[in-house]
Amino acid sequence: MLDEKIETIHSEFLKEIPEADNSKKIEEIRIKYLSRNGLLSSLFEELKNAPKEDKPLLGKKLNEMRNSIAQTFEQAKAKVDTTGKFFENKIDLSLPGITRAIGSKHILTQTLDEIKNIFKGMGFSVTLGPELESDYYNFEALNFPHDHPARDMQDTYFINNNFLLRTHTTPVQVRIMEKEEPPIRAIMPGRVYRNEAVSARSYCMFHQVDGIYVDTDVSFAELKATLVSFAMQFYGSDLMYRFRPSFFPFTEPSAEMDITCFLCHGSGCKICKGSGWLEILGCGMVDPNVFKSVNYDSEKYTGYAFGMGIERIGLLKYGIDDIRIYFENDLRFLKQF
Amino acid sequence: MKVSLNWLKEYVDLSGIPVSEIIHNLTMSGLEVEEVINQNEIYKNFVVGFVKEKIKHPNADKLSVCKISNGTEEMQVVCGAPNVEAGQKIVFAQIGAIVPNGNFKITKAKIRGTESFGMICSESELEISSNHEGIMVLSSELKEGTPISEALGLDDVLLEIAITPNRSDALSHFGVARDLSAIFDRKLKLPEINLEEYENGIKDFASVEILDPINCPRYSAKVVKDVIVKESPDWLKQAVQKIGMRPINNIVDVTNYIMYETGQPLHAFDLKMLKGNKIVVQSTTVESQFTTLDSKVRKLPANTLLICDAEKPVAVAGVMGGENSEVTSDTKNILIESAYFNPSSIRRTAKALGLSTDASYRFERTTNAGGTIYAAERAAQLIAELSGGKVAQGTIDVYPNAVKQPVVTVRFARVEKILGYYVEPEKIRKIVLALGFEITFENDEQISVRVPLFRPDVEREIDVIEEIARINGYDNIPTISSFSVPLGVKHDESSFYDKVRDTAVGLGFYEMINNPLQNEKTAALTGNQIGVLNPQSLDMAYLRTSLVPGALMVAAKNFNVGEKNLALFEIGNVFNKNSEETEIKSFSDFKEETKIIFLLSGKASLKEWHGRDKNYSFYYLKGLINSFLNNFTLDNVLNDSYYHSGNRIFDFIFAKEHDGNLIGNGGRINKEVLNYFNLQQEVFCFELDLNLLEKLSTQKSKYNPLLKYPKMMRDFAFIFDKEIEYEDVAEFIKKNGGSLLQFVRIFDLFESESLGVNKKSMAFELEYFNENRTLKDEEVEKDFNNLITLVSNKFNAKLRGN
Ligand SMILES: [Zn+2]
Repeated sequence: MLDEKIETIHSEFLKEIPEADNSKKIEEIRIKYLSRNGLLSSLFEELKNAPKEDKPLLGKKLNEMRNSIAQTFEQAKAKVDTTGKFFENKIDLSLPGITRAIGSKHILTQTLDEIKNIFKGMGFSVTLGPELESDYYNFEALNFPHDHPARDMQDTYFINNNFLLRTHTTPVQVRIMEKEEPPIRAIMPGRVYRNEAVSARSYCMFHQVDGIYVDTDVSFAELKATLVSFAMQFYGSDLMYRFRPSFFPFTEPSAEMDITCFLCHGSGCKICKGSGWLEILGCGMVDPNVFKSVNYDSEKYTGYAFGMGIERIGLLKYGIDDIRIYFENDLRFLKQF
Repeated sequence: MKVSLNWLKEYVDLSGIPVSEIIHNLTMSGLEVEEVINQNEIYKNFVVGFVKEKIKHPNADKLSVCKISNGTEEMQVVCGAPNVEAGQKIVFAQIGAIVPNGNFKITKAKIRGTESFGMICSESELEISSNHEGIMVLSSELKEGTPISEALGLDDVLLEIAITPNRSDALSHFGVARDLSAIFDRKLKLPEINLEEYENGIKDFASVEILDPINCPRYSAKVVKDVIVKESPDWLKQAVQKIGMRPINNIVDVTNYIMYETGQPLHAFDLKMLKGNKIVVQSTTVESQFTTLDSKVRKLPANTLLICDAEKPVAVAGVMGGENSEVTSDTKNILIESAYFNPSSIRRTAKALGLSTDASYRFERTTNAGGTIYAAERAAQLIAELSGGKVAQGTIDVYPNAVKQPVVTVRFARVEKILGYYVEPEKIRKIVLALGFEITFENDEQISVRVPLFRPDVEREIDVIEEIARINGYDNIPTISSFSVPLGVKHDESSFYDKVRDTAVGLGFYEMINNPLQNEKTAALTGNQIGVLNPQSLDMAYLRTSLVPGALMVAAKNFNVGEKNLALFEIGNVFNKNSEETEIKSFSDFKEETKIIFLLSGKASLKEWHGRDKNYSFYYLKGLINSFLNNFTLDNVLNDSYYHSGNRIFDFIFAKEHDGNLIGNGGRINKEVLNYFNLQQEVFCFELDLNLLEKLSTQKSKYNPLLKYPKMMRDFAFIFDKEIEYEDVAEFIKKNGGSLLQFVRIFDLFESESLGVNKKSMAFELEYFNENRTLKDEEVEKDFNNLITLVSNKFNAKLRGN
C-alpha cells in the first residue's frame, strides 16, 4: 500500500519536474512535495503506522526516494535560477535585434587602404607631406623649369610666386630623398589640387598615391614587374596590361600603364572610349635632374617612380558617374560603402 | 594635333600596313592616338547631287522644293538655304546618311506638308569647315552620283594625336612620319626644294636686323614678287581643312600647310606695308599697344619681342601678326618670315596676352632652329606655284649665334642598367639613325651621336635611352619575377590616422571628405585665412582654417535631403597664417595641421520596439570624445574644461588641454553660426589636433596587475541645491572618501517637486578595494558613514532615505 504510494508519487514527481521551467512552477512543486505539509511529509507520517516488520525496508525506500527527489529538484531549481527568464515564456524570435551603430570609412579612404596594404606588402614605407607646398618642391626640384610648357600639364592654384597647393604628391619624393640616403622605397598618399573648373569629370582636388624606389640597381624591368604585381592584386589577376611611352618631367623614360577595361574586357565601351584599355597610372625612371636636386649620384643610383589617382579608380570600379559625389558627403552615399 | 594619314604617306611608304597597326604602333611609341576619324565611314551615303529644278515651297516662304538627281534617280528635297539654285552641283545626303555635325540620320520626312527624301548640306554640316552660310556649292565638273569622299578627297583617315610637351618635333607631319619610318623600318622621304628664282636678289627688296639675339637667335626670310592673292586650289583647301583650319587664301593657306608639314610656323607680310622694306626684331622696354590681325587691340607688357619695320611694330613675334601688314587681296609682294625664337620669351608673351596660337604653341615648345630656311624655301616655292609669283633670288638668314647641336654618348651597359635588358648595339644604331641622329663615334661599349636640332628634347644619355626604349617598344622590356626587399625599418606615417579612423568608425561615425577651398568669410570664421591667387570662383578662394565650417556645410546639405540624424567625422589639414597681416615667404609663416572633426546632430537612436528614441546632446558629444580618447590611452594626460560662452562658434564649450596647450575643443554650435550655415537643428562638433594627439599617445601605458581581492560597493543619494555641479561633488567625494575609495560614478539625477524648489537629487555609486588585501565590512562602513556626514555638511545636502 505505502509501497505503491511511494512509487506513484515518485513517478508523478518525475513527470512534473521537467515541466517546471520557471520559478513559479518550481515553488509549486516544492510546496506539493517537499514542504512541511507536502506529500513526502505525509508519507513519513504514514510510515509511522506501517507494520513493524515492513518499516525498515519501507523506510529505506522512502529515504532513497526523498533524496532522489530533493536532488532532482535542486538541479531543476538551479537551472531556472541561472537561466532566469529563459524558461519563463516563449519570445518572438523574429523581432529585429538590438543594434549598436557602426560607421564607415569614406570609399576613397577604403580604396587608398587597399593600395597601401598591397605596397606595404611589397616592402614600401608610407610617407606624408604638406599640401601647401613650395614651388621648389612641387616643380623646380622635379625638373619643371620656369616658363616651360610642362607646367601647363598641371593647372595650379598659387598662393603667391613661391607657394602653391601641390598639384601632385610627387614633391614628397624630393622631401624623402633630401632626408634619407638610398635605398628608399616608399609610397606617398595624399590630397592634391588642380585649378580646373568643377564638373562631373573634374574637381579642384583629388587624391593620389605616388611611389618611389631608389637603389644601386633599379631598372625599368623592375618597375614594370612591381606595377604589374600591384595591378593584379588590386584589379584582378586575369587582366592584360601594356606600358606605353609618355612624358613627365621628373621621369625618363616615362610611361603610362593601361590595363584591359574591366567593364568590357577589352572589346571597347563607353568608359574606355572604345579602346578596350584603361589608363591607370603614370610611371618612369627617376630623371637624373631630380637626383641632382637632392645630391644623389645618378651614376651610382637609379630609381623608378609612379603615381596614380584614387578618385578615378572608384569612378571605374563602382560606376560613379560624377566625381563631385565623393565630396558632397551625402549620408546616403557614405552609408553605401 | 590632327594628322592626316594620306599626308603622312607622302613622306613615308606605309603600303601594306593596316591602319589599325599604324595607330597601335604610334600609341605604343609615345604618340598617343586619341581619336580616329575615318572619312570613308563618315561620308557614306553622301553623293554629288545635281539641282534640276527649284520651286518655292507652297506653305513656307523661306523653304524651297528641289528636284535632285543622283545620277540614277531623281528625288524631291525640301531645302532651307537661300543660296540653292537650279543647275548647281551640291552635296546630297541620301536617306541613311548620318550628318556629322549633330550626328543625326537622314530619313524620309514631311516638311510643312511636303515630302523630302534627303538633305542638301553645308560645309559645317559635313564638318569640313565652320562655314554654315548656306549650302556647299561644288565644282560643276563633278559627276552626279560620285561619292563625296571621292569627289572632295575625303577618303582619308584623320588621327587626333596627343603630343606630350617634350615632343615639339611631332607637332608636324614630318615628325610623325619620322617616327613611323623608325618604327616600321621604312625610308623617310622629305620633299626636295625645287625653286625657280627670279634674277633679282632678295637684298634689293628687303633686309633683316636682329636687335635682341637672345630672344631671336635666327630669322630667315624669302621674298615672292607679283603674287595674285586668291582662293587656294581644292587640294590645299582640303588639306588645311583636315587639320582643322579654315582656308583663307593661297598665301596664308600655304604658310599653314608648311607649318603642319614641317613644324615651322611661318608668317607672310605684305612687303609694301613694311616701311623701309625692313624687318627689325627687338624687345620692348615699356608697355605698349598693338592691333593684331584679328583686329583686337592687345596690351603688350614690357619685354615683349616684336617684329618691326623701320618705324613700327608689325607683328608680335611668334604669336600673331599685325593688322597693319597682313596679306590682303591687294597684296603684290610678300615677305615670308621663318624664324627661331627663344621658347621662354614666346611663352611669357602668349601667357601675358592670354593667347595661344598654332605658332606660339610650337615656338614655346622649341622649334627646329635648323629648319628655318627649308621651310621658307618650301613655302616660297608653293606660293609661287599657286599665285603666279616670282621668288626673289637668295634667302635672308640672320643667325648671329648658331644653336649648338649636342653630341651625346650612350653606353650600352647603361642602356641595360636603366631598361633592365640587353639591346643589341646594331639595333641601337639603327634606331638612332632612323630618328635622324648622326653617329660621330662608336666602339664595342658605346656610341656617340650628334642630335639634330629638330629634337631639342634630347640632350643627355638618358634621353637617347628613352628613344631606344620607345622605338624598340616597351613591350620588349621584360618583367622580372622577384625582387629583394632590404630588412631595414619600415615606417608608415599614416598608421596613426588609420587608428584614428578605425576608432571613429567603431563609435558609429561616418567619414566625410570635404573640399578645403571655401569663401573668405567662412574661412575667416575660424582663423587667419590664406587666400589663393587665382581661384576659380570667390566661393573657393581661401583655404579652410578649421574643419568645422566644412562639416557644417555637409550637415546643411544632408538636412536638405532629409538626412537629419548625423554622426560624421573628417580627418584633414587646415591652414592658418601666423597672423592676419602675415605674408607667406617661408614655411614658418603659416601652419598646416592635421585635425579631426566630429559632428553629431539629430537622433542618437530612433524609437524602437525595445526603447525610446534619444537625441544627440552635449553629453553624447562629451561621452563619445572621451570614448574615442580612451583608445589612445590619454585618460590622465588631458585636462577638461568647460565654458558656457566666450567662443565664436560654440556656446556649450568643452575643451581638452595638455600642459596648457589646447588639444581640441567643441560643443554646441551657437545660434549665429547655425544661422550662417542655414542649419535648422542643433549641431554638436568637436575638433582635435591630431599632430599633438599623436605625440601624446605614443607614450606607452604600463601594465597594471589584476586585482586579486574583492571589491565592495556602496551607494547613496543626496538632495542638493540645483546650482551645485556634479563635478564639485564628485571631486569632493574622491578626496574625502578615504583611502579605500577607488571610483565614484553618478548613476541617477533628477529634479522633482517632491524634492523641493530648486533642488535636485544625485545618486552615486562608490567602489572600494585594496590591491593588497580583502576589505573588512566595518572599515568600509566607517569610511562610508563618515563620507555621508562630510557631503551633507559640505554641500548642505540631505541624504535620501533608504
Ligand atoms: Zn571598356
